[in-house]
Amino acid sequence: MSDLAALIAQQSINGVYLGCLYVMVALGLTLIYGVLNQINFAHADFVTVGAFTAFFAATRLGTKMLGLPDAAGYLLSLFFALGIGALLGLAINAAVFAPLRERGDELRPLIATIGVSVLLENAQLALFGPIPYQFDSPFARETIRFGRIFFTGQSVLVVVVSALAIGALYAFMRFSFWGKALRAVAQDRETAGLMGINPGLLIGLTIVIASALAGMAGALLGPVIVLTPFAGASVVVKAFAIVIIGGFGNVQGTIIAGILVGIIEAFTVQYLGSGLIDLVVFVLLLAMLVVRPTGLIAERKEENV
Amino acid sequence: MKLKFMAALACAAAAASFSAMAQDKVVRVGVLMPISGPGSYFGVMGREGVDLALEQLKGGVNGYKIQVQYEDSACSPLQATNTVKRVLEQFKPHIVIGEECSDASLAIAPILEQNKVVQLNAGSVTMKLTESGYKYVFRIFPNAEQQSAPLVKVALGHLKAKTAVILHEKTNAGVDNAEGFKKPFEAAGGKVLATIDFGRDVNDFTSIATRIASLGQVDVLPTFALEGQTVRLAQALAQAKVVKGGGGKGVQMGSIWLPWGFDQKAGQAAEGYVRIVQFDPGENRKMVQDFVKAYKAKYGQDKTPTHINAHAYDTILLVAEAVKRGAKDSESIREQFSKFKDVEVTTGKISFDQKGQNSDLSVVHFVETQKDLSWKALNWQQ
Repeated sequence: MSDLAALIAQQSINGVYLGCLYVMVALGLTLIYGVLNQINFAHADFVTVGAFTAFFAATRLGTKMLGLPDAAGYLLSLFFALGIGALLGLAINAAVFAPLRERGDELRPLIATIGVSVLLENAQLALFGPIPYQFDSPFARETIRFGRIFFTGQSVLVVVVSALAIGALYAFMRFSFWGKALRAVAQDRETAGLMGINPGLLIGLTIVIASALAGMAGALLGPVIVLTPFAGASVVVKAFAIVIIGGFGNVQGTIIAGILVGIIEAFTVQYLGSGLIDLVVFVLLLAMLVVRPTGLIAERKEENV
Repeated sequence: MKLKFMAALACAAAAASFSAMAQDKVVRVGVLMPISGPGSYFGVMGREGVDLALEQLKGGVNGYKIQVQYEDSACSPLQATNTVKRVLEQFKPHIVIGEECSDASLAIAPILEQNKVVQLNAGSVTMKLTESGYKYVFRIFPNAEQQSAPLVKVALGHLKAKTAVILHEKTNAGVDNAEGFKKPFEAAGGKVLATIDFGRDVNDFTSIATRIASLGQVDVLPTFALEGQTVRLAQALAQAKVVKGGGGKGVQMGSIWLPWGFDQKAGQAAEGYVRIVQFDPGENRKMVQDFVKAYKAKYGQDKTPTHINAHAYDTILLVAEAVKRGAKDSESIREQFSKFKDVEVTTGKISFDQKGQNSDLSVVHFVETQKDLSWKALNWQQ
């Protein structure tokens, strides 16, 4: 393999890995928008909660209390982060979002997401402090090499878990009763209600699924990011851009846009400079808004989720 | 009855007068630190240092109480500006300690200058802070040139480096440190293959490490970033086999920015990392050992103070020293600071030059991270 081919292959792998991380964060955002037409500003904090849950589940529960090997402890922590994310989503929806939605006001739940974000961020600051935690995944320590190409076990895990999560989400939406009902609510909340579907329950389910995905995204990101109570914020801005590029509320578009942005970032670092990453991504976002405001995949809204 | 009333009135007047006098005998210190945001660990460690110093001073010196008010300035120029204006109006400090981040420190400097309030800085490196002609700015932290120059000397001399890749965060501090390395390195015949900057929101450094690996032989990689990003960067460079920690040949070099404990966080990737330190908890000086002992007694035997703890501790010692020498307000603190020569603190000796920059770097030395992640002090003359 020539130097150039190896370099292109390496940066493509880096880009796909990064893209998968972005997709995991962006999926929850796009799902909530697709069903509720609402932006969730607290999403970054759900990601951070997931990262901290995974950290404590892996280091305290998995390896210290249960005596599991590091790898098993970390894998277990993914499920814990998923579960805690889901429970947190359930609790916050029941306590904050659902009562506000029942009042029929669109603006208040949106503002409430900002309030929830500040609450979660400060609660984590009080609980965990601001000093960065060192969250090392045993998979990140394993470097796999094929000639000049290298990647870590963590990057393989991220790609595999992302693919599984996307597959599971797709299967749930297409083939399960609840998934079909959820799509019905996304299409027309009122008519779905007339057909015997409880829209409130389905909206709650959407928030639970999105929060669970955010929790798992946090668990995957934990060993990559600098883990502090503000960690999620560093990726969520990019996730918002991806959701817009992909078509707000469109899951398929979000997946393609996430991987595309990851690859663009990797090649921007290589050929333009890492300082220009945000410039390139946000120029792309603006161009998309001007040229194709519906995003990469412009489907009818009812087919989004 | 009237007599009693008059006596009571006189007593009350005397008490009020005494109280006013007591209030006058206060030196008010505003402490602006990042308590939120990515640099918030500075604030936590800084507060530990300040609290310890105050405890040892038992709140005062020379009959003056040292009254401290902490504020969160979040490493943000905007928040620091708003905070310092509020503090000036409400708390009326005689001196402000802070900020840690260069951008925020630069933002508050002109405001404090205008209000003739001393700014004592212990964590920013940007040259502009002490090169802008401010009369009320003093800094004990080595500036960008003072930190980068020894790195260049060691890179060229001891490490025989011919090529370098400079890595830095996109801030005033990062840019100044990078420039401070680049110019003298190139002037001495070294070749800078790339200068790579990145925002504080960058998390994954694999693509950057891949790019560096594609540049050919890199001898040294001076790095100027916050601890968290430097950990991830070191790990990515090791995976790409660029640095010694990953089996490569390059030597990653760091500045005083990195706190104690970085090596343990970066793991094996940190092996061979060479950096300058101003505060070394292993230093034999009595002042350092007393500080380490007191810190452990207060915060836990398993904890080791970092340079951030030490710098913050030193700022209070310097204020106390100025008060001991007769300072009682901002103007007299400024006068006393200007006269400081060889004032011993945990991070060395303080002698402010005409620009307010500490010029004494006698304790600054190099350390190299060993295989077991401990430090080995290097006897390299700068």
